[in-house]
Amino acid sequence: MSDDTPTPRRIGVFICHCGGNISDYVDVEQVRQAVAGEAEVVTAKTTMFACSDAAQQEMTEAITQDNLDGIVVASCSPKLHLFTFRAMADRAGLNPYRYVQANIREQCSWAHRGEMPAATAKATAIVRAAVARAEASEPLATMRIETQPRALVLGAGVAGLRAALALADMGLTVTIAERAQRPGGWAATFGRTFARDRSGAEMVEELLRRVHEHEHITLFTGAELIEKSGSVGDFTAVLRVANGDTVTLNVGAIVVATGFQDYQPTVGEFGWGLPDVVTLPQYKRMLDAGQGLHRADGRPVKTVTFLYCVGSRQGEEVERPNRYCSRYCCTAACHAGIVSAEQAPGLHQVHLFRDMRTYGKYELLYEEAQRAGAVFLRWDPEEPPVVASDAGGLTVRVKDRLLGGEELEIPTDLLVLVTGMVPRENATLLNALKLPLGGDGFFNEIHPKLRPVETVANGVFIAGTAQGPKTIAESVASSLAAVSKTAALLLKGYVDLEPFVAEVDEERCTWCGKCLDACPYKAIEKVAVAGKEVARIIPALCKGCGGCALPCAENAIDVKGYTDEQVLGMIDALLEEAAE
Amino acid sequence: MADAAKLAVVRGPSTSALGLQPSYDVLVVGGGIAGMESALTLGDMGYKVLLVEKEASVGGKMILLSKVFPTLDCASCISTPKMAATSHHPNITTLLYSEIEGISRDDGGLFRVRLRRKPTFVDWAACTGCGECEIVCTVALPDEFNADLVARRATHIAFPQAVPKKAVVDRFGTSPCSFTCPAGVKAHGYVSLVRAGKYDEAFRLHMEDAPLPGSLSRACYAPCEGECTRGTLEGTVPIRAIKRFMVDRYYAAHPIPEYGPSAATRAERVAVVGSGPAGLSAAYHLARRGYPVTVFEAAPLAGGMLRYAIPAYRLPKDVVDRDILNVTALGVELRTGTPVGSLAALRADGFAAAYLATGTMEGYALGVPGEDLDGVMDCMGFLKRVNGGEPLDLKGKTVMVVGGGNSAIDPARMAVRLGAAKVVIQYRRSRTEMPAHDWEIEAALEEGVELQVLHTPVRFLGEGGRLTAVESLTMRLGEPDASGRRAPIPVEGSETRVPVDLVVLAIGLKPSTGSFASEVELNRNGTVKVDAETLQTSLSHVFAGGDAVTGPSMIVQAIGQGKRAAFYIDRFLRGEALAGVRFDEPLPVVDKAEVVARVANITPRPAAPRHERPVAERLAAMAEVELPVSEDEARQGAARCLDCGGCSECHQCVQACPAHAFHFEMREEKAEELVRSVIVSTGFKLFDGRKKPLLGYGRFPNVINAMEMDRLLAPTRPYNTVLRPSDGKAPDNIAYVLCTGSRDCTVDHRLCSRVCCMYSLKQAQLILGALPLADVTIYYMDIRAFGKGYEEFFQQARGMGVTFVKGKVAQVDERPNGNLTVTYEDIEGGGGKRQMEHDLVVLSVGLLPNRDALQLFPGGQLEADPNSYVREVDEDLEPGRTSIPGVFVAGTASAARDIPDTVLHAGAAAAQTAAYLKRMEEGR
Repeated sequence: MSDDTPTPRRIGVFICHCGGNISDYVDVEQVRQAVAGEAEVVTAKTTMFACSDAAQQEMTEAITQDNLDGIVVASCSPKLHLFTFRAMADRAGLNPYRYVQANIREQCSWAHRGEMPAATAKATAIVRAAVARAEASEPLATMRIETQPRALVLGAGVAGLRAALALADMGLTVTIAERAQRPGGWAATFGRTFARDRSGAEMVEELLRRVHEHEHITLFTGAELIEKSGSVGDFTAVLRVANGDTVTLNVGAIVVATGFQDYQPTVGEFGWGLPDVVTLPQYKRMLDAGQGLHRADGRPVKTVTFLYCVGSRQGEEVERPNRYCSRYCCTAACHAGIVSAEQAPGLHQVHLFRDMRTYGKYELLYEEAQRAGAVFLRWDPEEPPVVASDAGGLTVRVKDRLLGGEELEIPTDLLVLVTGMVPRENATLLNALKLPLGGDGFFNEIHPKLRPVETVANGVFIAGTAQGPKTIAESVASSLAAVSKTAALLLKGYVDLEPFVAEVDEERCTWCGKCLDACPYKAIEKVAVAGKEVARIIPALCKGCGGCALPCAENAIDVKGYTDEQVLGMIDALLEEAAE
Repeated sequence: MADAAKLAVVRGPSTSALGLQPSYDVLVVGGGIAGMESALTLGDMGYKVLLVEKEASVGGKMILLSKVFPTLDCASCISTPKMAATSHHPNITTLLYSEIEGISRDDGGLFRVRLRRKPTFVDWAACTGCGECEIVCTVALPDEFNADLVARRATHIAFPQAVPKKAVVDRFGTSPCSFTCPAGVKAHGYVSLVRAGKYDEAFRLHMEDAPLPGSLSRACYAPCEGECTRGTLEGTVPIRAIKRFMVDRYYAAHPIPEYGPSAATRAERVAVVGSGPAGLSAAYHLARRGYPVTVFEAAPLAGGMLRYAIPAYRLPKDVVDRDILNVTALGVELRTGTPVGSLAALRADGFAAAYLATGTMEGYALGVPGEDLDGVMDCMGFLKRVNGGEPLDLKGKTVMVVGGGNSAIDPARMAVRLGAAKVVIQYRRSRTEMPAHDWEIEAALEEGVELQVLHTPVRFLGEGGRLTAVESLTMRLGEPDASGRRAPIPVEGSETRVPVDLVVLAIGLKPSTGSFASEVELNRNGTVKVDAETLQTSLSHVFAGGDAVTGPSMIVQAIGQGKRAAFYIDRFLRGEALAGVRFDEPLPVVDKAEVVARVANITPRPAAPRHERPVAERLAAMAEVELPVSEDEARQGAARCLDCGGCSECHQCVQACPAHAFHFEMREEKAEELVRSVIVSTGFKLFDGRKKPLLGYGRFPNVINAMEMDRLLAPTRPYNTVLRPSDGKAPDNIAYVLCTGSRDCTVDHRLCSRVCCMYSLKQAQLILGALPLADVTIYYMDIRAFGKGYEEFFQQARGMGVTFVKGKVAQVDERPNGNLTVTYEDIEGGGGKRQMEHDLVVLSVGLLPNRDALQLFPGGQLEADPNSYVREVDEDLEPGRTSIPGVFVAGTASAARDIPDTVLHAGAAAAQTAAYLKRMEEGR
């Protein structure tokens, strides 16, 4: 295309009602009329659900019939439908990167309810800017990277071990790196677990046996990931293993199954620090030992009190509260109560809970615990139980909400603090993976429903309790879900990467080296071209962040898909609207 | 691996050993979020997936939801990408609107899947989802997508975001009225068109099947009304009156047909002998098929029985004339006063085929002395004469009609109109045994006809060759005879003699077939012998129908035979086989009991009374006895139609479809597929609130379930706001009853349903957004906000001002203003029984196992857990694995789950399946 006689572009615009999500607050017809008059817009339509099959069909027809060379869909966030419409464009034979999504829902209709004229004006501006971007769009091609048929699993708990087995079962080569000296994680320390009353240790033993037998699995203990480079499908991972050696692996994907830590109460929190006050994991070990229940002073335990939600569902009373629910502890405590009743017939059990969260089938364990003689009292977070100790032993004072807040004094031989799960501290790993954490401190998925095991780092998946509190069964399910996604990535043999990478205009570049310093991904190298030194981008490593473009004094770097021409065009379009 | 061990030992002939290759690696049963997630994951891995879904769109229950917790994403927004991806994935084949009949595993470990593809009646390859069909459809049915809160059309696209977006016609079967009609007239169709105000369309629909709607609207015995399901309730839909309304209106506007001669696309000429309803119908349908047709009629005027048998007070002759125009307008040649001497002559005249429809125009003789006297007539002779316009003065005369059928009633009532001083119907049994319709007898009695039952004439006496008196014998009833009626037995010596001026013998009609006896085979009773299906006679090019074949029958029966004959004559002339081809294959008739159950909540509306001219007025002239219904009455009558069959076959969609995609002849298809593995993702069932009767669901309109509330809140919501059902008021004090049908042994469901707390919290937040002034109270046992971000979501709801009351709701009562009194146990607010008034109560109903899943495999092979969910053999370490190797379960088919957990579980099932397939591949 010559700059002197630019061929007019042929842009199609589709504006979505989104049921009423958009059209209740934005006059979509008015937006349509406004952009229909743009010089290079050849078709502008509104549609009830742009994402619907029929609407997509209409768009593909428009692309072929009107010979479009750019398309704008004004609907929701590209997070939702970027790929939907790219695929649509592709089916119609339009380069998918000549499609631009204008977000007039999250960024307009939802943000400006009840202000229809203003919201409509803003939507018009957003769509015009998108048209401007489409007008300056160029056909781009994805970069195909061959994937390595190998995976790295971090963590050898029940989730990690099961994931490794499943990956190996699909024909992939797997390396497991476990930071601890012994594999097995938490489950290995558990005796009887709910809901099927199986031994956690035996389950882990079985998994480990299968792992050791599997020819495609290598297990490192005392090993830590210290460095990760490369990109999806082709990572280089460096492990520090026993006695300080390092192992470098080339893997296609990484499954993070690093698990949780149990909550450690602070001294004084519900009597923590007093004799005969234990956490649930400690209590379970007492049960598993099978030596009977004894107080610190050796006397047999006749009354045990379980205090729920310690370290979970915290409010402002704590400095950095764990606001979340730890999910597994109600059921675990009920199960512990059942086991206790079996092991110590006649034992008095008092369970002080907030909401009994024995969800789903676990409800039956709650019922069973009640039948086993456990007494359940509900406490109010406004007036939490108070634990005291004197010569006679422990006393828990609690206001029972069922009895209209009457204060009960419960002398108890043993107080079990039903502690929840907290995120595992692991600075080295976080530094190597650069994964974002959620507000609760656990690893965050991209979307809990659409992409529950995927992270913002392509090719890095999360599994088990590293993502949030879970039961054993749920951890395993989530680890297998992560395996599915890993396999879908690696079994295909290749992955197509987005073409939004930086590009150097070698004529302008004078190699000052500023871009090299600015790049956090080591994606720039110095090369000699036609007798001069210039910068060159390594596309597979470039993330398209644009960090290199900023310091370039010669304005020699552009990011594909976000070129200066496109961005300036968008700004002009927005300003034009404001000037009207 | 236990599975692998079993697989390694292949014994007996396996499907694979027989050389059959599986067409898919995986069968996924159920296209909800779990099924889609599993299918997509396996498809991405490169496996070929067949996804079978019983509904017309993928999406399952999630697509029905408004927003989803805890992120408050729009359910449509996060479902549609998965739906579209599933539908477009190169490795996934979706088979929608299809059900699995059974799956069996062979010795080689392959699964043979028997499928049933339900007919959509729409060619989906052609359908563009434009929705034109929905606009014109005349039947409204409850909209399942909107929890039955509003109606949708019988022809519909499942919902706005359906993937694929294709139309389906809901046909539960043929409606009883249409099914029973011997002429195949779509009674339900024209009734629904009249209901919709589409009167001309109603007329034209009738003309598709039968060309004489005017006559039928007067004189049809309307078997449709006899079958009308509404007749089992407060009274039948007045179908014939509705037809008369539409016909009268159309004929008034169109004195001649709208169409001209049909294009003669066929060279073969066809002769029709007889211009009664059977002959006219055959001529009409043959002409429409492009044949040149000539109708021969011996009488001076066309119409047969319509003209000569049915008196004008029942069927005005101008209506018959107009009906006949419908036939002749097509170019059919009508030769009246032209008896046909022989079939051979027709052949010689160049007719390639003939249709005999000569009717039963002669009466039987009684065989008693004096029958030849002047003054003794048979009923057809009498009716032909008076209906043919020949004057017959009966003023001051005494007339006796002998016989008990409908053919006795007409001469009697006619005689009254001709001025007879006394008209007696003499019948040898009692009134109970009279074959005439009761309402006809009543009408005759009203008009002054006398009934003399248990008498029979034994002698007609005359003077100078003229009848003067009748001698009769009294009868008594004996044992039932062959006809099932009690046999009349003469009483010895009971002879009586009365003076009579005219006797009309109405004891039966005989076929007018005598002239053809030497050419075609006749039955012993004189009717023409035909093949019951094709109506072909012993001469291959001659077909016969109507009363000449059936004996005296109904007009509509004769019309049906004409249509049938035209179909087979066409095939005959085209040289196509007649045997093995069915002329008309309607869907099976719907079960009325099912219809009644479906419409249990309808408001009774009595049928409008039929209008008749007063006796004095009707006798004065030959005035039509039955009066028309008004437009309002016709439409109200039509509005009482229960739409038994769903679709009414009004065929508006067929005409409206720009893509010509409708195919009503489409029928269920069976298919079989061979697959390597199976994922069961059949989802859950929702608890039916009616099983907790004290909570008032199903009794009080303002007690709704949470799925209904989700629809009220959804972006595609029916009312565009939250309204309570009883009066459309925006509710401002809403109660949620948690654990409805969960954690409850009284309904045999002790489990917690996992999602109800959270979706109630979600709805509460959405309500506070939609109705900022509303109060929301949640009655709960425990708030189970256990998932990632859930507790925070709960605290957010509390922060927004949702009231939480710990207490089990025992009972809900309705107040006169539609508000509801909720009686609950107040556990923490002081205890005891309390009551609170709300204007809307939402039952947070739980999730139940979908037991259909267990029926996929024969003989309980797919094991259930104690709660009737599909059992996972090791849910700790092998999630998704079932009791059958190679069969996996995903999502809520194995336990109640929320969406995030379902998606994870479906991912796990996919991993299990992939590992299984890998083992199969490697022969491990």
